[in-house]
This record gives sequence, structure tokens and C-alpha cells, in this order.
Amino acid sequence: MSFVHSLQCKECGTQYPIEPRTICDNDFGPVEVAYDYEAMRGKVTRASIESGPRSLWRYRDLLPIEGEPRVGLRSGMTPLIKADNLAKELGVRELYVKDDSANYPTFSYKDRVVAVALTKALEFGFDTVGCASTGNLAHSVAAHAAAAGLRSFVMIPHDLEEGKVVGSLVFGPRMVKIKGNYDDVNRLCSQIADKYNWAIVNVNLRPFYTEGAKTHGFEIGEQLGWRLPRHTVVPVAGGTLLPKVYKAYQELITLGLVDDNEPRVYAAQAQGCNPVVDAIERGLNLFKPQKPHTIAKSIAIGNPADGYYVVNDVNQSGGYGASASDGEILDAVKLLARTEGIFTEPAGGTTLACAMKLIESGRIPRDETICVCITGNGLKTVEVMQDQFAQSPVIDAKLAEFDKIVQQIAEVPSGGSPRPPVTA
Amino acid sequence: MDKIKRKCWLTFESGRQNEPCLWKTATKFPDVSFDIRQASVQKDIGVMAVLFTGKPDRVEEALRYLVELGVKVDPVEGGSLVAG
Repeated sequence: MSFVHSLQCKECGTQYPIEPRTICDNDFGPVEVAYDYEAMRGKVTRASIESGPRSLWRYRDLLPIEGEPRVGLRSGMTPLIKADNLAKELGVRELYVKDDSANYPTFSYKDRVVAVALTKALEFGFDTVGCASTGNLAHSVAAHAAAAGLRSFVMIPHDLEEGKVVGSLVFGPRMVKIKGNYDDVNRLCSQIADKYNWAIVNVNLRPFYTEGAKTHGFEIGEQLGWRLPRHTVVPVAGGTLLPKVYKAYQELITLGLVDDNEPRVYAAQAQGCNPVVDAIERGLNLFKPQKPHTIAKSIAIGNPADGYYVVNDVNQSGGYGASASDGEILDAVKLLARTEGIFTEPAGGTTLACAMKLIESGRIPRDETICVCITGNGLKTVEVMQDQFAQSPVIDAKLAEFDKIVQQIAEVPSGGSPRPPVTA
Repeated sequence: MDKIKRKCWLTFESGRQNEPCLWKTATKFPDVSFDIRQASVQKDIGVMAVLFTGKPDRVEEALRYLVELGVKVDPVEGGSLVAG
């Protein structure tokens, strides 16, 4: 049974049937999936969710599919880590890391949105799928399409990190590199979807695709023992994730699955591409598009499709925003790795660096529950970290030479030496 | 020649929101209709959703003229492409 009610314009509320539609005919506002929450009451419960599969599809009643899930059957349910080492470093009481760098099968939160989008593409009868991508989405579309037997086209900016390129090609998609930035790629994909009638997941399937991002928020609530963090810091690229995490929190509250603790959401962006945070800091609802220039390429979107709604939701929740320099991003990547054993890509470093700034500035109180959303894996972008570490010594295979290294380490502690035990 | 419709987002930045760019374009292209569906103007930026209707070449000329005036023109969905 599906609880999907209709597609509904986020601006004027006009309703449309469930179809591959992205905008309202009246005011060109984006349409969003609307549900019959009244019908869910008593049927969608903690127990019904907990008895579901150990994947994002345990929340299928809150997702826009009609039949059985067909794609991404093992995606989602990533770890929510109580990050005590990092909390101590940051001087906060209760800190969690929602770690989508461990998402399956392509190690980013995009496996959530693509699972829903491609299931919907199959329901609509599309035989070709595609995306405009900064890398992670291309990986996910290519991998999920391969498993689902769909033809895929992935369109990316021409200057993406090599790891991001190979990580898509291995799944056998048709890849096209576009001269320009992500916004140029996205603009072209809008035309491609229109001309070829393909399912471009983040263009003409966007209302369904974005709903998959809610599962990141649902999982945080469930994994915290059916309660919400008071403060959630979310990276902002195209603006999909933050409004959907907030929507997920509101849906959990509406259905009585968690108490309403007035959760606040915070936007994190790189200083080299921070149109949304800039608008938040200046007290504006509208953001000015920017030309991105940052090492955090997976979130380098200067004209985010849902940026307006990020600003809205941040303001409505009482949250705020912060942006981090490239140096701060790299330091935060290393800090997360050093304290919690999580290697995230620069986007994750951005989120942590911004969370630290929000804590330092007092925007996020140190004694309340904080969750940092990590959305991608650092093993995909090792290039940006290569200059960050001293050269490792090369020795002959002799114990005496190894002894010398140990002696040197004992004399000059380095990042590679064993950490002393943490004392309370 | 049949008329076409183009749904566009117009973004006015850097003082352009204080200039009558749309009026100038409407005056120069009286055969192209401008149907404003949504608009929001703030301190230093304005955004407007407009449905342009007219003969294909005239609509494209009008959109190009807006770009020349410093307005960023983006398609609301596929079918129109004018670099801003």
C-alpha cells in the first residue's frame, strides 16, 4: 500500500498526479511529493519500521514508490557513530557522526536518492537513466543502473578528480565530460531530459530522487533511539539533503515517532562556493549564484537548485550557516580521521569544519545533542590529501633499520606514532 | 511560423534590479509577451519567473537582449538555453 497523495507545488500548493514532473505550471515553483499522513497513523509505527529490511527501504511507507523496491536493496542504514573522541576534542557533550561514507554500494549519500529515483524510473517505464554530477552521483547512478539492467549516461564537469571518473567508468556507463562547471552540466542535462525523454535523476525525476534523501534523517532519528539531535549540521551542494533531513524530522514528529525537540538544521559550505551561507549570513531569502572555486568539488555548486529552500528551512528551524576555507576543510578531514577513524572527502571536512565554527561562535551550544552529516568517502579524493603528510621512510628489509625508525619516532613524536591512551 | 513558449528564471544582480530591463525588452520586442508568474526582489538581488511567448526567433532575440542588459537567464526546464 502506498501513502503517496500527489505531487504538490511548494509555492502555491497546486496538486498534480504522480508523473515525471518537476515544476508547477502556474508559478514554475518546484513540485514535491505529498503524503496522506492521516492514513499513516497507526500503520506506520516504530515497530513497523523496525521490522523492515536493514536498508533505507525500511522507510518505504514514507517514500514515493507504488510497487516493491527494485533498486538499492542494500543501500542505507549506515552507521550513526557516537563520536566521543571528536567530542572531547571539540569540547562538546554529545556528538554524533552520521557516516554515509560507508553507504552501499558507492560510499556516498547519493546511494539513497538513486535507489528511490531508479525504482521510480522503472515504475515509469524508462529504459535509460542519467545524471548531472560532481562525481558521487555519477558513481551511484552507474552502479545502480548496472545492477538494474538500465542503460546509463553520466554527465560530469571535465575537471573532476581522477578517482571520481574511474569510480564511475568501472560500472560501464556512457560518460560525457562537459567543458564547464556543474551548473553548466546541469543546464545541459535539463535539455537532454527534454529532448531524449530519459530519466535524468536530478532533473526530471527530481521530486522522487530528493525524497530518498529523507532516509538519512529517518535513520538518525531511529538510530538515536527514536529521538532527534537538537542540532544537525548538513553540507549544502544542490540543496537536496538539508531540506529533506528537515522534512524527515518533521515527518517523524508528525507521525508521533519522536518527540518534537524543535530540531535545528545548519548549512555547511566551502568558502569558495557558499551562495546559501552567504544569503543566510546577510539575512536574505534569495541567494546570489557564484562561480565555484574550492577543493570540495562534490559540493561546488554555485547555483543550487534547492538553495532557496535550504535558506528557508535553516531560518525556520532557528539554525544558521557557516563556511570553511580549503585549509580548514583539509584540517577537519584529518581531525575526523585521527579521532574517529573516518576518512571523508572534502565535503565531509567542510561539514565538520563548519560545525566547529558554529560551536566556537556559540551558535551551537556545547551541552546539547549535535549530529554532523558525513556524506562521502575520502578514498575517492585522495589527490587532495597527498601533500598533507610527510614522506614515509623507505628501508631495507632488516630489523636493525626498522629499529632506527622506531627510535626516531620515540624521539620525535609524529602523526604516525601510536596515540597515548585517552584519559578522562 | 508557430509561436513558442519559454519558461525562464531571470536573475537581476549588481544593481540590475533597479533598472527597467524588462520594460526595455518589452518595448523593443512588442511581439513577445512576458507573463510574470513569480517574483521576489531583495536588497541586491531579484529573481523572476517569466513565461515568454512569441515567434521562436523573436523570443530567442529577446532573451539574448536581456542577457546583454546584464540579466542572468536560466531555463526553468529543458528547451531553452541562453547563457547568462
